[in-house]
Amino acid sequence: MRSPYMTRLGLAAVLLAAAVAACSGGNEDDTHIIDPPDAGDAGDASTPDSGLDAGDSGPGEDGGTDAGDDGGTDAGHEDGGTDAGTDAGSDAGPPPGTVTIPNELSGYNLFTGTPAGGDFKPVEGNIPYELTTPLFSDYSLKSRTLYIPAGKAALYSADAVLDLPVGTIITKTFAFPADFREPTKNVRPLETRVLVRQPQPVGWVAYPYVWNDALTEATLASGGKVFKDFSFIDEQGVTKKFDYLVPQRNQCQKCHHVVDEQDNQHLLPIGVKARYLNRDHTYGVQPVNQLQHLASLGKLEGLPPAAQVPRAPDAFNAGEADLTQRARTYLDINCAHCHNPKAQPGITSRLFLDIKTTDEFSLGYCKRPGSAGGGVGGEFDIVPGSHDTSILWFRMHTEISGKMMPEIGRALRHEAGAQLIADWIDAMPPRSCK
Amino acid sequence: MNRLPLSRVTRVALVSLMSLLAIPACSDDDADGPYADPHPSKGPGEETPDAGPPDSGTPDSGTPDSGTPDAGPTVWPQEFTCEGKETHALTFNPGQEQQLQNAVNDLKPCTTITLGAGTFRFDNAVTIRQDGITFQGAGRGAQGEGTGGASSTVLDFTNAAANTNGLDVVGKLFTLRDVALWGAQKDGLRVENSSNVLIQRIRTEWAQPNLPTNGKYGIYPVKSRYVIVEDCEAYNASDAGIYVGQTRYAIVRRNIAKQNVAGIEIENTKFAFVEGNTAIDNTTGLVVFDLPGNPIQGTDVLVTKNTITGNNRKNFASDSGSSSTVSQVPAGTGTFILASRRVEFVGNTWGNNNTVDIAVLSGLAIEPNPVLWSAGFFNFSTSDVSIHHNTFLGGSGGNVDSGETNPASRPLGYLISNLYAYGKAAAGVDRVEHVMWDGIDPAPRNENVANGMHLCFSNNVVPATTKASVVDLDLEAVQKKLTAATPDIVGAWAETRRYNQGAAPFNCSGFSPALKLP
Repeated sequence: MRSPYMTRLGLAAVLLAAAVAACSGGNEDDTHIIDPPDAGDAGDASTPDSGLDAGDSGPGEDGGTDAGDDGGTDAGHEDGGTDAGTDAGSDAGPPPGTVTIPNELSGYNLFTGTPAGGDFKPVEGNIPYELTTPLFSDYSLKSRTLYIPAGKAALYSADAVLDLPVGTIITKTFAFPADFREPTKNVRPLETRVLVRQPQPVGWVAYPYVWNDALTEATLASGGKVFKDFSFIDEQGVTKKFDYLVPQRNQCQKCHHVVDEQDNQHLLPIGVKARYLNRDHTYGVQPVNQLQHLASLGKLEGLPPAAQVPRAPDAFNAGEADLTQRARTYLDINCAHCHNPKAQPGITSRLFLDIKTTDEFSLGYCKRPGSAGGGVGGEFDIVPGSHDTSILWFRMHTEISGKMMPEIGRALRHEAGAQLIADWIDAMPPRSCK
Repeated sequence: MNRLPLSRVTRVALVSLMSLLAIPACSDDDADGPYADPHPSKGPGEETPDAGPPDSGTPDSGTPDSGTPDAGPTVWPQEFTCEGKETHALTFNPGQEQQLQNAVNDLKPCTTITLGAGTFRFDNAVTIRQDGITFQGAGRGAQGEGTGGASSTVLDFTNAAANTNGLDVVGKLFTLRDVALWGAQKDGLRVENSSNVLIQRIRTEWAQPNLPTNGKYGIYPVKSRYVIVEDCEAYNASDAGIYVGQTRYAIVRRNIAKQNVAGIEIENTKFAFVEGNTAIDNTTGLVVFDLPGNPIQGTDVLVTKNTITGNNRKNFASDSGSSSTVSQVPAGTGTFILASRRVEFVGNTWGNNNTVDIAVLSGLAIEPNPVLWSAGFFNFSTSDVSIHHNTFLGGSGGNVDSGETNPASRPLGYLISNLYAYGKAAAGVDRVEHVMWDGIDPAPRNENVANGMHLCFSNNVVPATTKASVVDLDLEAVQKKLTAATPDIVGAWAETRRYNQGAAPFNCSGFSPALKLP
């Protein structure tokens, strides 16, 4: 094992990225992997990415449908159009802007080097970022990058996920150090999840890539993978052993979804919201605010003055916000992708844990779950003043199958997170719910 | 709305009444013969919106609150079709689990996936999120068969990652048939938000009986439309073997449910036809109910030609600490109907259910706060229940909760057991009648109206030894007297009233228009 597995970009890279962004337009090709970082792209003229339908699903849906066969053999080529008409007899090519999904992560040309070489890093224009409070996933270290196609930009939103243009690619690499007491040494990436915004009617799609044992390549694993008996040593020196689940593509929807007025489900990113991006990141030598960085690269439009941009605190830094704000932030990033009025579990449970919900009943105070099942620690979602009779805490704390929350994404308890919610509930004025 | 009488009972009584009975919700599949056309061409009439007037609490039970299927044949709408579209076929054999997993995550619409005989061992759920999918094996095998044979396909999830279901589906025009789902961590088959679903000749099972750690539901279509479950088997679920929840239009027929806590459940479902099933050796056999907080108001449920006998299995559901679980149903409950309306039982057979053949209960017995029933327009009340032309074999009602009453975990059983112990000594009533009505609906109770909820019990075959067939238990009054500082068992018994079959006021004759099978 080597370390670090993903090196930070140097200042030169940042400057280059800015230069590329400044001079490039859109992409006239029907489809593309991404614009290579060193390409002048002289011939590019911007094309609108709207008004597309082209009937059947784009080539992104083609890979791997034949069992036992590598679907994406053409991955990595620029001419994504070849992939389109090979099946289904559809004579229409994929909609403009469609990203061809390669079978190997390297096929995106979003990274250089490998974790094996210790020089795995995002290319210029594939912008690393961090969240003020990240979603917990079995203590994994996460490295995130955002690639927005040349000539395009995200649109700022104060509350919602940034409106990212067609062709945007978000990556998240999940890794574990062998020993969390030395978190930069012997870091082993397990998977890189890729979210791609394709033209309508497809929208966001998700693809998991699993790293090989040699850490030289990550390969598309639509069906996910279970790392049985995976282990690491935690900050206290205790060995944690568990089954690490790389979600199947279909399981990505479990968290990444929103229900529209017609009751259809759509995929949506979770963390790329202004309030979670509103923090510094060191791109060159100086820390710089991530949102301002995106704006200065021309990748974010509509960013208001800094004072007007909301910020979710670091839920575990008591210096940043009071207990309630921190607890609500933790619930917002970890739970509200399901527990909100536009997601199926929220609709079913009527438990809304998003940051905007203010009425106590929807937040679970003295609220009976419709369908908790047995043995979930109590009768009410939250019993103010009593965390250990509150189902909300129980579900976060337990590691019992069928009872824990979130439903996928963790096998281990987040000790600090469960403690934060316990502290929050215990600090509420005690109330009998009966 | 009227203040409900239950809110005035003592705290002790209220607490215990609240938890009398509790049922789980979710936390979330032809027509003429077993081998006929995979999707029905006929079905009940056009769907009507749920939003009836919020007429909560008023004792107007006689008016149906929803549309009813018209007599004439109508067609179930098909929300997706593969006609005229390209179809695809994939085949997998044991050993190709990972290939199958990759394939189901990249499915094209209108794909048929065929699994060869044998055992497929999965470390994760098999998920399907596509329309027009048929998933089929070589056969479901026999009860107890955890390994596929030459003509059976077993999907073994025993070593799957925690917190996953077995087969997990969201899609339109979905067909599943001829497989066994073995040892799922959570639900064996979960189908959610789907339509035109056919679940045919499958088996869901866990290896060991009576384990609270077994998965919750065997076959679980929920929040769906136009669902058929037929010729299936479900064993050893720690909650329900077959659970149709929050669904509009469902046919459940010719299935076998054994050794589950609950055999077959129809929950918050509109237009359900439950025909020819066998529910034996569960804690409770075949039940119909609504839960609070759900926007679908269950109505129009026809239960016919089912066998619901010997459901006396000890309740093995996990029972620590939640108000809301099937864990509180006394063993030996053949059927309960709760917060239900327009439910017809005809041509069924009950017998040898230790606690009672049929309990008719108000939703207020499990959740006394009417506000929590607001999502379903205050659908707590039970009304229009017609039980006619059935056969009661006898042997029921004489050993409440199979003799293992527990006041903390199953208070209803405890209460009935004590009440009837007195009744036996004082009045020679040695078993609970075939039908036990809790006397709550319509709430508040009006003693001058003997059967305001319109419960009909007529033209059933009962054993010659049957004295009375129906008991109005007046649960609220009984509870109050039994839980008073000085319990009044004599007074409590005096609150109960017994009726012979054919006697007023339960000698009514169903309702109109009648329910019809599609």
